[in-house]
Amino acid sequence: MNREWKALGIALCASAVSLSGMFGFAQVLRNKARATSHEQPTNETWPLWQPAPAPEVIAAGGKLFLNSCAHCHGADARGDEGPDLHDLQMSDRHIVNVIKNGFKGEMPSFAKKHSDAEIAKLLAYLRSLKNESPPVNDQ
Amino acid sequence: MDIPWAKIHGAATHLPLALAGCSWLFDAAGFALARRSTGPQLNVVGYWTMLLAGLGTFPAVASGLLLTKGEVLGRDLVLFHHLFVWPAFALLVGLATWRAIVGATAAPRVFGYYLAVGFIAAVLVAGAGYWGGEMLLAN
Repeated sequence: MNREWKALGIALCASAVSLSGMFGFAQVLRNKARATSHEQPTNETWPLWQPAPAPEVIAAGGKLFLNSCAHCHGADARGDEGPDLHDLQMSDRHIVNVIKNGFKGEMPSFAKKHSDAEIAKLLAYLRSLKNESPPVNDQ
Repeated sequence: MDIPWAKIHGAATHLPLALAGCSWLFDAAGFALARRSTGPQLNVVGYWTMLLAGLGTFPAVASGLLLTKGEVLGRDLVLFHHLFVWPAFALLVGLATWRAIVGATAAPRVFGYYLAVGFIAAVLVAGAGYWGGEMLLAN
């Protein structure tokens, strides 16, 4: 019985050390990501005027984004494994195509997972993502 | 080169996921058949599968942290996933450490407690796996 109690003490220590180690590792990764994940905003702006989607549509798109896209593009869409999605310089049709078809070896297809209506909400959310700071011009 | 952490995490997590449940089943069967010759043999299988499950939690959790750039809790499905992951990780490391010290078998009453905690750990690991799958498959 004594051996089991000693083992319990050591096991509790091992759990605490392992958890602390992983949380420390997580902190290091967060600090590194904070320093490197934000891309520089571009000077270009989307030229075509389009009516702004309703806030509830954007919110619904944001929820879909968190469930389907955030683990690769980051919860703030600033990019993780996938790229930063702020100020996308491409057409709506191209964005929808990418969501539906993905990229071989890089991004899965979401055509079966999301209906056209849901993809439209995702698009509305992506279009709402703007760089907050003014563009940086190196010239 | 971009490392496919999503795929590595998916591959790494299935080892502790499967082994934790298997270990508990073998140990429970060994406990129930303790008076027969097969009982201790089943406990030996439970012992080694628990050690492997404990070791397997480290690459599983580390690859998840690398995938999310150090996200410990997150939001929505990621949060649900993490609410199961951290207690499961701590319990599996503790159980594996305890078992490594005590050995394949222990006094019946103590081993009963071990099985009760092991069951909780197996359920938590399964819960973490379920929410991990939901992130990939569910809307």
